[in-house]
Amino acid sequence: MSAVWAAARAAIRRRRLQTFVIALVALLCTATAVVSLALLDATSAPFDRAFEQQQGPHAVAFYDPAKVTPEQLAGARNGVAAGAGPFGQTVAETRAAGPVGSMLGPLAIVGRADPAGEVDRLDVWRGRWPAAPGEITLNAPPEDDAGFARGPMGHLSTLTVNGTTLTVVGWAYSVSHSADAWVTPEQMTAWRPSGLQMLYRFAGDVSTRDAVEERLAGVLPGGALLAAQPYQVVKEEAAETAGVYLPFLGAFGVLGLLVAVIIVGNVVSGAVVSGFRHIGVLKSLGFTPRQVVGVYLTMVIVPATAGAILGTGLGAVGAQPLLADTFRGLGYGQGTGVELRVWAAGLLGVPALVLVAALLPASRAHRLSAAEAISAGSAPRPGRALRVQRLLGGTRLPRSISLGLGLPFARPGRTALTMASLLIGVTTVTLATGLAGTLIETSRLDAAAGGDVGVRPGVAGPAGGPTTERGDREIEALLRGLPGAAKVGASAGLTVPVVGQSSPVQVNFIRGDVAAMGYQAQLLEGRWLAGPDEVVASAELINKRGLAVGDTMVLQLEGGRTTVTIVGETMQSLPGPGDGLFAAWRDLPGLDPFAFYYQVELAEGADVQAFTAAVRAADPGLTVWDNTDVTDLTIVITGISTVLALLLAAVAALGVLNTVALNVQDRRRDLGMLKSIGMTPRQVLTMLVTSMAALGVAGGLLGIPFGMAAHRLVIPLAADAAKVTLPDYVMRVWDPATLALLVVSGVLIAVLGALLPARSAARLSIARVLHNE
Amino acid sequence: MTTETVVRLDRVRKEYGETAALDGVSLTIRRGEAVAVMGPSGCGKSTLLNMIAGLDRPTSGEVTVHGERLDAMNETRLALFRRHHLGMIFQFFNLLDDLSALDNVALAAQLTGSSAATARRRALELFDELGITDRRDVYPAALSGGERQRVAVARALMNRPALLLADEPTGALDSRAGEQVMDLLIDLNQIGQTLLIVTHDARLAHRCASRLVELADGRIAAESALDRV
Ligand SMILES: Nc1ncnc2c1ncn2[C@@H]1O[C@H](COP(=O)(O)OP(=O)(O)O)[C@@H](O)[C@H]1O
Ligand SMILES: [Mg+2]
Repeated sequence: MSAVWAAARAAIRRRRLQTFVIALVALLCTATAVVSLALLDATSAPFDRAFEQQQGPHAVAFYDPAKVTPEQLAGARNGVAAGAGPFGQTVAETRAAGPVGSMLGPLAIVGRADPAGEVDRLDVWRGRWPAAPGEITLNAPPEDDAGFARGPMGHLSTLTVNGTTLTVVGWAYSVSHSADAWVTPEQMTAWRPSGLQMLYRFAGDVSTRDAVEERLAGVLPGGALLAAQPYQVVKEEAAETAGVYLPFLGAFGVLGLLVAVIIVGNVVSGAVVSGFRHIGVLKSLGFTPRQVVGVYLTMVIVPATAGAILGTGLGAVGAQPLLADTFRGLGYGQGTGVELRVWAAGLLGVPALVLVAALLPASRAHRLSAAEAISAGSAPRPGRALRVQRLLGGTRLPRSISLGLGLPFARPGRTALTMASLLIGVTTVTLATGLAGTLIETSRLDAAAGGDVGVRPGVAGPAGGPTTERGDREIEALLRGLPGAAKVGASAGLTVPVVGQSSPVQVNFIRGDVAAMGYQAQLLEGRWLAGPDEVVASAELINKRGLAVGDTMVLQLEGGRTTVTIVGETMQSLPGPGDGLFAAWRDLPGLDPFAFYYQVELAEGADVQAFTAAVRAADPGLTVWDNTDVTDLTIVITGISTVLALLLAAVAALGVLNTVALNVQDRRRDLGMLKSIGMTPRQVLTMLVTSMAALGVAGGLLGIPFGMAAHRLVIPLAADAAKVTLPDYVMRVWDPATLALLVVSGVLIAVLGALLPARSAARLSIARVLHNE
Repeated sequence: MTTETVVRLDRVRKEYGETAALDGVSLTIRRGEAVAVMGPSGCGKSTLLNMIAGLDRPTSGEVTVHGERLDAMNETRLALFRRHHLGMIFQFFNLLDDLSALDNVALAAQLTGSSAATARRRALELFDELGITDRRDVYPAALSGGERQRVAVARALMNRPALLLADEPTGALDSRAGEQVMDLLIDLNQIGQTLLIVTHDARLAHRCASRLVELADGRIAAESALDRV
């Protein structure tokens, strides 16, 4: 093998440029692939690990105490491998001192004596488990101290449930989310539980929701089962954030791998074509056909492996912030590393792909007859190229340009591959442009909807902070009066029971400029509310409850029933507990002062910090916060897709550079001849750049539709994963100017790629060409 | 001088499309001979040499070199045969541009399984014999034509070939460098190296060869013994 290695090393040295191109392409593709795989892996692996650690229940079941006794439940073990319960459970309105409590909403509370057990072994990560009535432990994912202090739960020391004030004694974490909080069984008995909780691990198949439900139905036949949560529900929630990244990382990943295959194929076939003489020499020395192929494969596998090693490292580092973002607050803390199998896939996958891509052109070297190789040299076939050249020669274009336009026809195969890499470059740039457009539009909508500043009465604090003296209307007037305020919206949030539905809805009674602050603009369907019996629902609520625009709901309000019609669907609801309805303002006497919420949109150029400071100064009894932050997701996705698009465009340019370098190499003699008859260096440059710019235009025109199609495919997939519905207009990001710029991007990629080798060809000394031929 | 046969061609025909580059050539070369093949351009000299080197296969006829039937061998066996038993030099040298002179020569021995160090040692020996030791680390582009051809000869001799094939070895050289290469070939033949030289240079043929084969239109037109001048 040492002879093959010696020859391959020489070939690598001769083709520094191509070697560099291959290494870079392999690096980029590996990095993208590793990030995608790490995320893919992350959508299940850390959850699975935590779930196993806690011996999470396959189903959390909730039985009707009127139909089954605790003894019957404890005795029913059909198909159950391990179980815990029955535990008394209730869903209760909770309230804490200060405004935070009013945001907690109803909590599912379970009476449980012991955090350990056969299943759902809870991690009590701060404080302790309730030991006596009057104590409560909350469910929250473990966080570092800084994160903990920042979260809303960090302030809680007492909690009022069903009129009883409980002391918060600790925090525990249940991966399976079997409850929001736990108390002692005695405390639960005192409240008279509304259901009995059973936690089951089953012996049989639990791979799907249906399978779990089937197992569960077998445990205790009869109608006592009220509700159940298969573990897949929690698992899918855990995968949500990762699921948003996957579609577009996948799209870029596929484009990257395609470009890798094309460029490697082009580099190797170029090396084989321009290396005919080289192959002939190797064969005349006694290299076997297989060894010759070995030389050419070694030539690409060395840089590809080097690129893959660097790319794997880069991908692993690059995946960290995404993984951390994915797991923030999910409580799988330790699980944010990149798994070994992902490393292995990165290290082996791309070099293997490169090898396969190289195999086909390298096998030409295998078949090439030595005699032919040694005598033939590497002159491209004339025929068609000559005909095109003759046609172009008849036009009135400057000769250097018409010669350049004819060049791509001399080697149709190479031209096709170059065009394909340009096409992918433009596709990528188009996709990234579309993604950025959609995301910016979406986040603008988001930001507008949230307002710039949010305000609530009261200030959070361990002992209940200062409260405002002002009433609802006075607060609104205060906010409107402060310098910088452009729009002020007020709302009162109320949890309202719905006739015929098991859980209540959050209704936001709105006043002022709420509609004008983005919510009306982001209507997905229908129209904005126009009267007291009309409501607008968030997409989340509509999806969760199987509603539709046009449906009516009967709300139990102020002791009576109010029928409302859903006239519109919005992307999102007001900040606060999610699935809300917008309803027209009505004065609700006796409303909790903490239920009021105000959002302010500032005038163009007004300073958010100054405004929040002004509000605090005007009334220390108000909680004020900055609501402007664009979501991390938008920044991350726009950032990554821009970087990936630039990188892939650079790779496409490298593909062009490789092609021009090969063309120049093939045509050294022609170039020497053209110069000897008086072609200036500038004309040589023009000729070579023209040849690629023409391909750039064609690649641009063809790549744009592909990019637009990819955008159409990726955005809905990502939105789906994020469980949001996007209004159609955020998809309409294309206008003639953008499209024209995208065509220009194709030309730019081509020209930038061609410039370097064209310049060195322009400087090529005739004497040297003639000396070496 | 023994009479062991190194090359035997039996009615070898080679067609390229319609035309026959070789048309029924039979030829025997014995060990220690120096045979020159001459003829006008396009008469089939290179084709004949390619047949003997196993670089190409005949359309019909038999090619036996060093006791082996090349026309029946597959590509891989031909390659193995070449690396052990043949050395070739060309008009345009065909050195690998990115290996130093020494590494170009060493490569031939590495192919037969020698370590890089052993290969270099043997290459240095040859450099010494050919008087180009001081050029060993120079790359081909910086060598003169004559030096390139001597490096090519060294490479061809690396594995002590049974037959040294030369296709127009002086065709690209000025007369002084041409003379040096001729002297080298004569010296080699005198120590027993079997030679086949393709040329259209009568001086080269008459100085180096013991026998002359004249080709015309793919056939042997004449054969004659030469008294070397
Ligand atoms: N690979 C090839 N394909 C087609 N024709 C060839 C090929 N090689 C040689 N020929 C033709 O065969 C004839 C003999 O060529 P060659 O042996 O190279 O002649 P020369 O005596 O000049 O070395 C010529 O007519 C040449 O055109
Ligand atoms: Mg010839």
